[in-house]
Amino acid sequence: MSSLAKDSENKLAVEITDLHKSFGSLEVLKGINLCVRPGEVICMLGASGSGKSTLLRCINQLTIQDRGEILIYGDPIGFEQSADGKKKKARTGILAKQRSHIGFVFQQFNLWPHRTVLGNITDALIVVKKMTKGQAEKIALERLEEVGLTDWKDEYPSTLSGGQQQRVAIARMLAMEPDVMLFDEPTSALDPERVGEVIDVMRALAQKGHTMILATHELNFARDTADRAIFIDQGVIVEEGPAKDFFANPKSEKLRSFLKRMGNG
Amino acid sequence: MEFEFRFDIVWNNLSLLLEGVQTTIILSLLTMVLGTIIGLFVAIIRLRVKRLYAIPFIIYVEVFRGTPGLIQIVWIYYCLPIVTGFQLGELTSLVIAMALNVGAYLSEVFRAGIQGVDKGHIEAAAALGFQPGQITRRVVVPQAAYRMIPAIGNVFVSAIKLSSLCSVLGMAELMYQGQIIIANFFRPIEVFTVVAFIYLIMAYSTSLFMMYLEWKFAWVRRSDNSFWEKFKYISRAAFSLKPQGDI
Repeated sequence: MSSLAKDSENKLAVEITDLHKSFGSLEVLKGINLCVRPGEVICMLGASGSGKSTLLRCINQLTIQDRGEILIYGDPIGFEQSADGKKKKARTGILAKQRSHIGFVFQQFNLWPHRTVLGNITDALIVVKKMTKGQAEKIALERLEEVGLTDWKDEYPSTLSGGQQQRVAIARMLAMEPDVMLFDEPTSALDPERVGEVIDVMRALAQKGHTMILATHELNFARDTADRAIFIDQGVIVEEGPAKDFFANPKSEKLRSFLKRMGNG
Repeated sequence: MEFEFRFDIVWNNLSLLLEGVQTTIILSLLTMVLGTIIGLFVAIIRLRVKRLYAIPFIIYVEVFRGTPGLIQIVWIYYCLPIVTGFQLGELTSLVIAMALNVGAYLSEVFRAGIQGVDKGHIEAAAALGFQPGQITRRVVVPQAAYRMIPAIGNVFVSAIKLSSLCSVLGMAELMYQGQIIIANFFRPIEVFTVVAFIYLIMAYSTSLFMMYLEWKFAWVRRSDNSFWEKFKYISRAAFSLKPQGDI
């Protein structure tokens, strides 16, 4: 874990208060409150358009909220303290530094097509963490080993299957040693037979004690692996609880009908 | 009476044409370099600034794309000194005129290339902690540059042919030299045929060079980077088989 996490073991990893976001007249997030402890794995469920992705994107400021605050280990993301102690909007350099502590895995992988598998992983280490090429490659190879793709290091992403691309994207995120890992429907763009390989990688990460927040439609993964599950509907958290109870005894009618539609008996 | 081709007249005056070729190459290369600078500048301005400030640049692009190149060249050559009171050399003012024309087209090529980069790739870099300038240099420019190569080739080839209009103003380039031979020997068909062929050679060399760039920067893994591989690729491209570098 990075130094940031060590210094603040008794702080919450993520603390979201009263988060609002609208796109035009459409209010996507209507006051989200959420706390995540270090090492916790949280699965977010909800239909498309419920606001899961927007919530995740707000956490690392790819989408900027209209109202509300997000603290990452006590540090309000997207903001910095000015000289007189007031909170003001973070400059791009500060925001970039904050983001480098938060990993994000996209539904569409978003590997850079002009870089090899290895280059995709080393670039951020060299550019953001100012490592030498040698140091970066050493770390990149370790992470590729972790996702089982060492043999593919010199290939370009276009020659990889979707599942392999997503594993490279996960390795790219891991190499930065983020304090919090966000996954935005990481398996939704994959062929069904490729979902398993990505799920296995994520399960291994969860067991290593990483702090993870996932938006997913993989109910089995959520049930087995998550510490806590959250159901979001129309921009509000409708229900949350320990993953086991959540699936066994859904309290709200909305969650019951959602689980039924998703084929959870 | 049957028409008799007299290509010997062209061969006897080939040295005149070759002198013209030199001037054409100088004109074209300077135009390409300056046009690229203008195009990049305009494209970046149009993407960066608010729409209101971009209006002069939009007008520039539309005027230079929407009026005949000949008139642009004549206008800048004759009228600019009258309007500004500033006299430029012949080569300079012709290059400026052509570069403004080429720059207008290139700015649109660059703009399309930059806008065509997948937003997700930019977000991925931002999420890893890249700063905006680093994203531009590491993600946007390399991707856009590669995708723009064929379109830039198009504009460069047009630039070579555009330079033939400079003959109207007495610039001794290839077309002008050809017209001198015609005026002396009254053999337009033979001279124009050879002149056209020389333009073709220059244009085609440019195309081959752009194909080479496409091959060199293609996003594919190659174990064999030898001269023979390059030769095979370019000769294949030359006979218009599907380029291999493409994905």
